[in-house]
Order: sequence, then structure tokens, then C-alpha cells
Amino acid sequence: MGVFPTGFKTLTRREILRFVRRPRNTFVPPLITNVLYFSVFGVILGDRVGQIAGVPYILFILPGLVVLGAISNAFENGSFSIFHGRWNEYIHEALTSPLSYSQMVWAYTLSSALRGVIVGIIISVVGAVFTSVGVTRPLYLVAFAVVITVLFASFGIVGGLWADDFDDLTMMNQFILRPLVFFGGVFYALENLPDGPLQTATLLNPMFYMVDGVRYGFLGTSEVNPNLSLAVLTLMAVVMVGINTVLFKRGFGLTD
Amino acid sequence: MTAAIEVRDLRKRYEGVQALDGVSLTVPEGSFFGLLGPNGAGKTTFISILVGLVRKSGGTAEVFGYDVEDDYREARDAIGLAPQEFNVDRFFPIREVLEHKAGYHGIPADEARERADEVLKRVGIYEKRDTRFDWLSGGMKRRFVLARALITEPDLLILDEPTAGVDVQLRHDLWDLITELNDGGTTILLTTHYIEEAERLCDEVAILDSGRIVAVDSPEDLMDRGADRIEIQLRNPPAEAPTLTAGEGNVENVELDGNRLVVTARQGGLVAPDVVRELDREGFEIVDLEISRTSLEEVFVEMTRGQETVGGEDEDSGEDDPEKATAAAPGTSGGAGGDR
Repeated sequence: MGVFPTGFKTLTRREILRFVRRPRNTFVPPLITNVLYFSVFGVILGDRVGQIAGVPYILFILPGLVVLGAISNAFENGSFSIFHGRWNEYIHEALTSPLSYSQMVWAYTLSSALRGVIVGIIISVVGAVFTSVGVTRPLYLVAFAVVITVLFASFGIVGGLWADDFDDLTMMNQFILRPLVFFGGVFYALENLPDGPLQTATLLNPMFYMVDGVRYGFLGTSEVNPNLSLAVLTLMAVVMVGINTVLFKRGFGLTD
Repeated sequence: MTAAIEVRDLRKRYEGVQALDGVSLTVPEGSFFGLLGPNGAGKTTFISILVGLVRKSGGTAEVFGYDVEDDYREARDAIGLAPQEFNVDRFFPIREVLEHKAGYHGIPADEARERADEVLKRVGIYEKRDTRFDWLSGGMKRRFVLARALITEPDLLILDEPTAGVDVQLRHDLWDLITELNDGGTTILLTTHYIEEAERLCDEVAILDSGRIVAVDSPEDLMDRGADRIEIQLRNPPAEAPTLTAGEGNVENVELDGNRLVVTARQGGLVAPDVVRELDREGFEIVDLEISRTSLEEVFVEMTRGQETVGGEDEDSGEDDPEKATAAAPGTSGGAGGDR
């Protein structure tokens, strides 16, 4: 049986194969989008912006775009996979099997997180084509990448359980995820904001700490203590996985 | 011997609707058990509670001694379910879908592949193994859900309307297959609209109506509860129907229709000789005699007549449970919403 039970491995594999076999739906869109982001924000506008937080603008936004792509895809995978399974009821194949609730949740979470990490890597490679970027703190980068994708995969699962139709999924992405990302320090540094509500809002946005942590992994500079960010985000991820396990156990969105 | 299914006072209440209202039932291990009931009687709710797709509101339910909530993993591992609604993974070819299902039950990949091929051959769709579910014909889809239920070699096979909408040939193929499984020791729980199917296959039948069990018996004994029809053609019919004393109270009605005397009686086969003797004594000359056994269908209709059903909709549309119809707005259209 190995370290992981066969049931857990099978569901995880199934979930990974689902997105790996459909690159046109899963990997090509962020690739194209990020080529556009780097072209417009990095090259065309970046020269006008100049340096921000001590680095060229294109280099400054690279970690933010990696975070944006990684968490969006982790979220989208988790929400879509659960919701589509509910919509067509084939999630019953897993639900009526002897998988434990935590095995189900971890399988959906880790596979969705993996999609986020893969998209993050794709965006990093695209960024490397446009500008010279290194990885100053690889362990931090890996740790932040894993934690934030697990966290947003978990949010996605909640969304997939909660949604009643496909519009709800779009709504979550457009009205919750994107504003958090755009006001989370992807395109600007905290120091660029005037003191007051805008700074406070940014500091209250969990996205800010994620972007700041990933930026620390790439560039070695951060605006807040990366250890604290990592600890808080890890705690949030663990709590979310726990919440999802309870939701599965209670059959929220899954059973009548 | 542990019962395959043991439920006591099982209840399920949806908002405003009591779908199951204190069902107690024992399905013996190795039996071929039929669950009959009109649309909305609660059959699918009952099954769904066993596999964990519906949460019970009260009572207990055990599968081979395992509580369906406390020991859900053991209970679910013992069950193979072929549901009425097609709830199949549309992303993968059907052989892979079977391998996944086997894997969820802890069957290693190599063995899962072997079993997948085996069950696909068994239900006769092996040549379609690399096809996705959506591209199968209706009959093949029905065969596939049976294959999926069989791949885990379950001790309890639950078939929810397995022959709904299939042609005669396939129906007979499915009957042969599940009879063979039952002969091999698999307990079968079958829900069906085709009373003939229950009459032909089941050792025991429970009739469920408005969330309550109204009868549990063998098809034969259930039919004994119904009234048979004895038609006696007389050469010299009387002016009006005679009063019969034969039959020890089993005779329910006597009518005269021209030269035919129609006697309605329970256990008609036993009553007929007494009736014939009495008519003979009375001086009537009997030309012809015909006994029509009551069918299980007639008994079923009689037992469930006039009861207000819970759902009232066509069960084929998956609306056995009224709540399910709304909860499963997620539920019907294949592949809707594209791929993300």
C-alpha cells in the first residue's frame, strides 16, 4: 500500500489527470495572459514607472503575477472540480466509496494546489524570458508556494461546495478573488501608498502577505517579516483544511 | 447470521416532507430482495441513506452490521450501487472510470485494470472501453453503471430501477447476470417499477408507500393476499347470482354475467373445487371453468391505492425526493458549464 492508501492516491491521481490532460483549459490561458501582463505592465509601462521598492518594476510585479496565477488556478481547480462533480453527480463515485472524509479533502486540496504551483512555475518561466530574475530564498519560495496554493485550493473547495450554479463560481472569482489580488500589493509597494485607510486596507488583506512572502523568495526583500507571514498563512491553511473536512463529514453541498 | 441490511425506525424529513416515516426492514444476507413502491414512496431515499448520499433524520441503518454513519467506510465498501440516474465521470474513458472506482475501494492499480476489463466483458461493452460515457448508447450506459457497481465485487448489490427504459433483450441479459450473482452469494436489493421483474426475480418483496413499509413477504405470499378470479360458465344459469357457502370465508364476491358466474376469492385455486361441488349439488351444469391468479401488480396497486405519494412526479426524472430535485439543480445536464 505504501505510505498513502490506494484510495487517496487514486482520487489524487484522478484529479491531477483531469487538469493535466486539458492544457488548453488549464495551462495555456495563464501562459498567454502573463505574456500580455509582462509585455504591457513590465516592458511598455515598466520603463515609465522606473524602480519600485529598489528594483525595476517588471521584477517587482513578477512575484505578484506568480501569486495571482498560482492562487487563481488553485482556487479555480478546487471550486470547479467539486462543483462540476456535484453538478453531474459523479462526485458520488468518491462519496459512496470507503475513502475517509479527510482523505477526500486532502486529495482535492493537494491536486488543486499542484495545479497552482505548476501555473506559478509557468509564469516564473515567462517572467524569466522578459527579465533576469533569480531565486534568492528557494526554501521560502517553495514554502510560500505550497502554503498559499493549499490555502486557496481550500477556499476553492468551500466555493465549490457552496455554489448553486456556474455563475456563483464566476462571481467568487470576479468579486472576491480579483479585488483581493489587485489591492494586495501585486502592482504596487506598501510604501507607495499614503498613510491612512488605503495602507490599512492593504495590511488587512491576506494577499499582501502572500505576495510579500513570494517576493522575499525571489528577490530577498520584503516589507513585513516573512516568517510571521508564513506562520499565519500556514495556520490559515491548516484551519481551512480542517473546516473542509468537517463540511465533507456533514455533507454540506454534497448530501441531501 | 448478520443481515445484509438492518434498518430500524428509519426516518428522513426534507423541508415539509416526510420522505421516510419509520421504516424498519431486514434484508437477509444472500437474498434477492425487492423494494417496490409508487413514485415518491421513498425508495431512492432509502438506498441513498445506505450509501451516504442522504443523511437520515432518525433511526438506525446498518449494512452487514456496520452503521452507515459511524462505520461509513466499512458499510460503503460492502455496497455496489447501480443508480437510476447516470452519475458517471465524464472526463475519462469508461475503463479508467472503472479503475478509479476500484482504486477508491483500495484495489491496487494492476488488479483494478484487470477487473475493469473483466466487468466490461461481463456486461458486453468491452469494445467500448476507450470511449467516454457520454458517447455510449442508452443501453450501454445502463450496462456500464452495472459494471461500475460490480468492479468492487460487493457483498450487497443495490440496483435502482436497473431495467428502466431498456429493450427486452437487455432486460433479459441483466436479469440473467444478476440472478447469477445472487446464486454466487451476492445479496441483491432491487427497486423496480416492473412488478413482473420483482415477481420473477425476488425471494422477498417489501412494498413501500408514502415513506412507510406496508407489506414484506415473498411474491407468492403477497399474491395470496389478493383476490383471484374464478369464472364458471353454466349451461343453465340462474336468474340471479346464487349465494355460495363454499370457500370458508375466502369468497369475496359473486356476480352473474350472462351465463358466466364470476367468483372473486382469495386463494382461488383452493376455493374453486368447493365452489364447483356446491354448484353441482345445486343442480347447475358447468361447461367451462377458468381461474385467473391475481398478479403481484394487482396486489401492489391495491395496497398502495389512494395513498398520497410524497413526490408525485415521475421517478425516472430523478425526483423521487422532492428536495433532491432542487438540491440537484446540480444534477442532470451532462458536461454543462464547460471545462475549467
